[in-house]
Amino acid sequence: MLSIKNLNVAINGKQILKDFNLEIKPGEIHAIMGPNGTGKSTLAATLAGKEDYEVISGEITFKGKNLLEMSADERAREGVFLAFQYPVEIPGVSTTNFMKAAVNAKRKHQGLEPMDAKDFLKLMRDKMAVVEMNKEFTSRAVNEGFSGGEKKRNEIFQMAMLEPALCLLDETDSGLDIDALRIVANGVNKLRDAERSFLVITHYQRLLNYIVPDHVHVMYGGKIVKSGGKELALVLEEKGYDWIKEEVGELAG
Amino acid sequence: MGFTENIAKQFDSLEVKDNATSTVRKNALSAFQKLGIPSTRHEEWKYTNIKSKLNEELSLTPVDSTVNAAVKNYIASLPPYAFRLIFLNGAFHPELSIVPDIKGVTVCSLKEAFSSHPALIEKYFGKLVNYNEEHFAALNTAFIDDGAFIHVQKNVQVAEPIYIQYFFTASDVNAFTQTRSLSILEQGSSINLAEDFRNASNISVQYNHVSEVYLESNAMMDMVKLQLEVSNAIGVHTLEAQVGRDARFSAATVTFSSPNTGTGNALIRNNATARLVGEGAHADLNGLYFGKENALIDNHILVDHVSPNCTSNQLYKGVLNDESTGVFNGKIFVKPDAQKTNAFQSSKALLLSNDASINSKPQLEIFADDVKCSHGAAIGQLDENALFYLRARGISKEQATKILTYAFAHEVIEHVHSKPIRQFLCDKLKDELKVNF
Repeated sequence: MLSIKNLNVAINGKQILKDFNLEIKPGEIHAIMGPNGTGKSTLAATLAGKEDYEVISGEITFKGKNLLEMSADERAREGVFLAFQYPVEIPGVSTTNFMKAAVNAKRKHQGLEPMDAKDFLKLMRDKMAVVEMNKEFTSRAVNEGFSGGEKKRNEIFQMAMLEPALCLLDETDSGLDIDALRIVANGVNKLRDAERSFLVITHYQRLLNYIVPDHVHVMYGGKIVKSGGKELALVLEEKGYDWIKEEVGELAG
Repeated sequence: MGFTENIAKQFDSLEVKDNATSTVRKNALSAFQKLGIPSTRHEEWKYTNIKSKLNEELSLTPVDSTVNAAVKNYIASLPPYAFRLIFLNGAFHPELSIVPDIKGVTVCSLKEAFSSHPALIEKYFGKLVNYNEEHFAALNTAFIDDGAFIHVQKNVQVAEPIYIQYFFTASDVNAFTQTRSLSILEQGSSINLAEDFRNASNISVQYNHVSEVYLESNAMMDMVKLQLEVSNAIGVHTLEAQVGRDARFSAATVTFSSPNTGTGNALIRNNATARLVGEGAHADLNGLYFGKENALIDNHILVDHVSPNCTSNQLYKGVLNDESTGVFNGKIFVKPDAQKTNAFQSSKALLLSNDASINSKPQLEIFADDVKCSHGAAIGQLDENALFYLRARGISKEQATKILTYAFAHEVIEHVHSKPIRQFLCDKLKDELKVNF
């Protein structure tokens, strides 16, 4: 599904990702944890194609294609989805119109006709149910005046609408109360299948109680320094990140 | 012989011989002879060199107004408004119009009103425009041949919009067509009015329009001025509204300079004034403009707070592409008696090209001490984070730019009260931007 090899990325001239490597197979859930400022969100933004992020060297292959040659919107149409850490408010554009434009852009890419109004509304209704979203959300402007939890639910709703192959969740859990966290995680779990892969970026282990990963990686200093199964997340929860820093320090020393 | 020299001769050749307007016309003519066409040395015309754009020889007498195919097609494309008035090169075409037949409502051509309603004409015609200082209002007042006349009696409310369509076809390249409307709303009456200006030829047209609006106490008027596809047009608009006690006036001026004919030689000047003369009056002066190619769109607006406890809003939004230029001059005057005034102004412009520019100037003159006035101006580009958010959902950069521009512009249209006109504008905006939702 996704293969990242020796990826080096800088922003504003400062290198953040250093020889980063990761392999994700279809249907797998990978979690990336780590202290703040270690490059987790840079990884997500680079994968999604944000232009401020400069790829110095390395390769990213997605479904056998060179992801780095694609613009952000092409990546999305190919099936990469980024659930934003800070979803953007778009006054004046209703969620319905936003999703209509996005779904039809993807369909056009697949050589399909735009969806007719009736089918589209049914799709909206079905996918709103995934995150227990109220009907009124769809006529409101995208994220405008939404609470933190509503914004994150809207991200998962959009994910459900666009049915991506690779879902990137960038700190989707941060700032959520337990009810919102449960709704968001249930939404994600409903979207799991044998073909769809997830990369869950989080600072806290809490989310991983709900979305159980196949692999957990610890990121530090712009690369993965430790990988393991789901139990690694529990160790991190109990012991924090200091022991990782020490281990890395010892290796370096 | 130059234009200013032969103007008296043109005036003498006018056919209008009614008594109701003769004095005001003569006064306006002599005022114009002193004022002439303004140059950029005039403070209010600093950024708008209309003198260099207008032809040197201007013909003010009516020209041919034969209906062509473009006119017929556009009329057929309009929503089925209950009432419409069609003007071609300034002349009223009753055979294409649908005039309301409602008790207490008089809608007719200004030409007819000059002779059939002399008392109203003498009382109201040319009384709001300041022809001693306004060059183009003076010219229009002296030379106007025809136009729209609307009079609504006390407490009569007309829900269906009255749509006035002004077409221009330049049969004479020197023609400077004068158009005008006069609306008088008695106490407690209300109407929705649209004025739509359109070049129905593929060569350049020049026109000069005046709207005078009187709102007596508690009257309401929602007005929309449409200047759509005005490439190839040099148009000057003067709107003067007098708003009485507890009356409500709302105007939205929408200017699209779609380059459908290619030369993009558009110059649109809007002078819009709302004078709040009665206590508790309210005015909205809003505007939306899209500049393309080398179009110049100039909005000079003024809300004059004369009486206490009045409120006003000015919301102007511009989108400038290519080498287009915008001018925004927004004045708020608060006179000494106008205590408890609440006035708000906002001007925002998006510059979508490196060669586009805007000159934006708020001008607040406040002579009362217990008032709330605020103004804000913003000039910028589209929000990069919002663009990325849309693109991260698979929407192309081009489409994302259009969607965000639509969202930016839509706020002005949301304020239009009349639902059919709002919907019409929404559709025009989508056409203009080619957004596909």
